[in-house]
Amino acid sequence: MGEDALDPVIHTQARLRIMTTLTALPDGDRLTFTKLQSLLDASAGNLSTHLRRLEDAGYVQVVKGHQGRIPSTQVGATRNGRRAFEDYVAQLRTLLTPPTDPSTPAEEER
Amino acid sequence: MVEDTPLDPASSAALIAEQRAKVEAATDVDGRILFGAWGVAWLLGFGLLWAVDVDPPLVDIPRGTGLAAFFALLVAALAVTAVHLIRKSGGVRGTTAVQGAMYGWAWLLGFAVVATLGYALNRDGANVQVTSTVMMTVNLLVVGVLYMAGGAIWGERTQFVLGAWILVVTIAATLIGNPHMMLVMSLAGGGGMLVAAAAETVRRRRPEVL
Repeated sequence: MGEDALDPVIHTQARLRIMTTLTALPDGDRLTFTKLQSLLDASAGNLSTHLRRLEDAGYVQVVKGHQGRIPSTQVGATRNGRRAFEDYVAQLRTLLTPPTDPSTPAEEER
Repeated sequence: MVEDTPLDPASSAALIAEQRAKVEAATDVDGRILFGAWGVAWLLGFGLLWAVDVDPPLVDIPRGTGLAAFFALLVAALAVTAVHLIRKSGGVRGTTAVQGAMYGWAWLLGFAVVATLGYALNRDGANVQVTSTVMMTVNLLVVGVLYMAGGAIWGERTQFVLGAWILVVTIAATLIGNPHMMLVMSLAGGGGMLVAAAAETVRRRRPEVL
């Protein structure tokens, strides 16, 4: 499996950090935009750009709501997003495992 | 956030681990703080009530003053709990937030009933001895049951076992009766919470893997 197999939507510093943050929460949980921003040390513009890309891929859901009268945007990972992140982590694990050569028979079997 | 630079698998893995730790630190409710605060409050508070009530008293202050100190300790533990929970749940919405709010209401209404019971016992002419035993037992009933329920809801064994322990200790304390039930609650109840805080510390040492 080559490195190109890693999902390009996730495989960037910014979006990997967003997906890691959102999938670290239990299913059904969302973060306010402000909280997400503070957990990532991101600028609002930068974060919005990457969120849009993730939203287009169906990995996150952005809910525009209200907290009293103040507008409050909330972001959560979708089911597809969680699955994509799990796949990404699984692939990463494979890439990081030192390759074993199955074609060479084990010593004792000779 | 850093601008997009190419990632290799190892730095991806490092980034995931680092970010997970950051989210955990920001959102995870810390049992060491909560059990620790209540453990200290119970140990000192119940201990003081016992020391005031035994004959002859170990601490020679009016019972009212002892009670006031007891409640001050409980309020302090409550404040620690509230600040911690607000800090950790800030900015989190959805399932967990709703669950937490429901659970919070269970505590609030439970204690509202207990407070009303105190009023009713007084109105109906119960003596100090009866009121003291009933109030103590019913308060601990609410605490123990809600700890057990909380442990079941969030799958937290420490919290569940602590709730069960509190109820068992309450049975023993209630059978023993005043004034020594206070000593039982101080040592076994407050001590049990401190043991739970220590158990949390051990549990948290387990390493995280990708």
